[in-house]
Amino acid sequence: MLSTPRLITRCKNVDTSILTIIRTKRTKANKNSTGVSPQMQRVVTQLSVMSARKKQPKMLKLSNEDLIKHQTIETAWKIYQDKLQGQRTLRLKKQYFAVKEAMDTLKEVSPALFYEANVDESGKTFPMELRVPTDAPPREIWHYDYTLKTTET
Amino acid sequence: MFRNGSATTFNTSKRGFFTSTILRGKPGCALVPPVHHLVKIDKSKLSPRFPGLKYDKDDIRSPAYHPKNTHQDRVQEHYLNTLQSDMMLMNYSHEAKTEKGLKKRTWDVSKSPYHVNRPLRRPQGPEGQRPDVHPIIWNNIPSIDNVILNCYVAESRDNELLAVSALLQLQQITGCKPSIIYSKSNVPNWKIRSGRQMGAKIKLTGLPMHQFLSTLSEIVLPRIRKYRGIKLSSGDSLGNISLGLTAADVKFFPEIDANQDLWPKTFGFHITINTTAETDDRARTLISGFQLPFDLEPSKKEA
Amino acid sequence: MTTKAPSTIRAALVLARTPIVVPKLTKFESQYIKYKSELERRLMWTFPAYYYFKKGTMSEYKFQSAQKKPISKQPGVWYPEGIPDIKHCRERSTKQEVIIPKETPKSDDTSVSRPVVKNPAVTRADESNDLTSLERQLRNTLYLLVKSGSKGEWKFPSFDVGSNQPLHEVAESGIREIGGNKLNTWTVSRKPVKVLNDGKDGSLEFLIKSRIFSGEFVPKNKDTEFKWLTKEEIKDFVNKDYYDNTEYLLDK
Repeated sequence: MLSTPRLITRCKNVDTSILTIIRTKRTKANKNSTGVSPQMQRVVTQLSVMSARKKQPKMLKLSNEDLIKHQTIETAWKIYQDKLQGQRTLRLKKQYFAVKEAMDTLKEVSPALFYEANVDESGKTFPMELRVPTDAPPREIWHYDYTLKTTET
Repeated sequence: MFRNGSATTFNTSKRGFFTSTILRGKPGCALVPPVHHLVKIDKSKLSPRFPGLKYDKDDIRSPAYHPKNTHQDRVQEHYLNTLQSDMMLMNYSHEAKTEKGLKKRTWDVSKSPYHVNRPLRRPQGPEGQRPDVHPIIWNNIPSIDNVILNCYVAESRDNELLAVSALLQLQQITGCKPSIIYSKSNVPNWKIRSGRQMGAKIKLTGLPMHQFLSTLSEIVLPRIRKYRGIKLSSGDSLGNISLGLTAADVKFFPEIDANQDLWPKTFGFHITINTTAETDDRARTLISGFQLPFDLEPSKKEA
Repeated sequence: MTTKAPSTIRAALVLARTPIVVPKLTKFESQYIKYKSELERRLMWTFPAYYYFKKGTMSEYKFQSAQKKPISKQPGVWYPEGIPDIKHCRERSTKQEVIIPKETPKSDDTSVSRPVVKNPAVTRADESNDLTSLERQLRNTLYLLVKSGSKGEWKFPSFDVGSNQPLHEVAESGIREIGGNKLNTWTVSRKPVKVLNDGKDGSLEFLIKSRIFSGEFVPKNKDTEFKWLTKEEIKDFVNKDYYDNTEYLLDK
């Protein structure tokens, strides 16, 4: 850092550690060396990546008609989502009462089987084979050659 | 006259009528209903200036508008289509009742007149108050609420510039804007001074959250050598599960992996998955449905 | 409950294959998502190319030459579509199109950077309408339906519960008895999802939910027919009562 500017060394009693950069001649900073260390330059670039300066687009300015169009689209989507949500809730509700009915019946018919079924399963985890669906199928769609490793049940 | 338990407690600042100094032990507002000045007034809404800034953030006219639902959310669809009904079935317990959590106890007013208006007694036993645990029915099936990434960089007490790198790292991984963590207090032993940048954190919801979770479960975690899964001891007993990634693990994120020369130094971070589940067991069931592995081996060894 | 002690208790297995590919969007959904993603692109910040491509490198040159240059503002020129406002080589009033420089693909390319070719979601089993294949209808959940003998009806495989063996164990071992051991299944829960009351002999059928992850169903008995069907298709194979009772248990 101190290579280009010359330090004042004539005054003996000056603490040189304070005087880090003093330009004696009027020199234009080189384009490649902006006067900061490469580490600092890296941080400056990193900050500029996150900063909005010079990167933000113009704000949307919708005409009244466009605004109403947009609001209509959003309302339609909301109504549609509400409908789907209602269907899902109704289905889950039916499922819940189906389980309840089945357990009630089982309790009446066979208390032993009911006792076996009504075991607390909290903390049971889904197996890792249960995959989240993907946009496209894998090359091997289904693995047929499965062999039982340990005897179950 | 107050009946037992009807007295309300307030956390408002208490000060005298003509003074700004806070008076101890005196209520700052009326304790008798109707109680005024509890609704906070947003004064920017009252001003006629800057009408553009008054819109809701979801409004397209707002400068802060950010569109949602920009892509098909396969993780959300998987949850709604497959996991939800399975979770309801797995957590079903016949004729289950709400499990009451520990609560603060009331005083018996009939024993002493001094018990009127007394603060409630702490709950029995060494533990504090606990929330109730409700049985799972069709409308309270657990779901993932948000994911919080917290990247605390201890070295940034010596070099504050590292916190900037941590900030950018979270931004690159998630594609959302992180916020800065500042140290809160002076700890001379650890050379920490308050007000210093110490890292970055971010709260993810919706599509970015699902994107992050699928990247984590499909790309990052499988590439970590000898990764055993999330520990069963993880969890705050309120249905929020945490896991951690080391600085070396973070290099497996595709955004970091593709630009390795830009990332000579990476920073590990903590991931907290906040769920709407009321217990950790339920949260574990939920999270395992998103292909996040759990370290189930220790329990097997015991059995 | 009509009878206190029915003649038989049966355990049936609702064996499902989860979807492998995401569901197809409806027209409205895809249009809405396209609209929102275009809005997002319009409001997106300019891509900081200077961060990813070092100045003066070959990769920077390739990237920059692949980009479309916006119209710049010149003095004394009339712009009918508004005066250009360019920052960082991006016209601020429109969305930015970041073009990734294409490399000529080779047929025997095995490198990581080769272009992604998606496999089709419609498989050979779909084209030949092979209802016994597990590789059909990748976007939907498939359920196993069986029919024993030519006179039997299509239904979920069900098995008699003899002793006090738990329902889910009866169902899981029963499916292996008729369909072989090469089944990798996972019982969702020990609890039955539904009880079906058979009107004729008064037997009760408890449905147990299970998922298959690998392996296949190979019937041991030649009389046993089986099909992997979606929710929509099940409607055409089972009788109406049976479908109405089980319809809401089935995923899309």
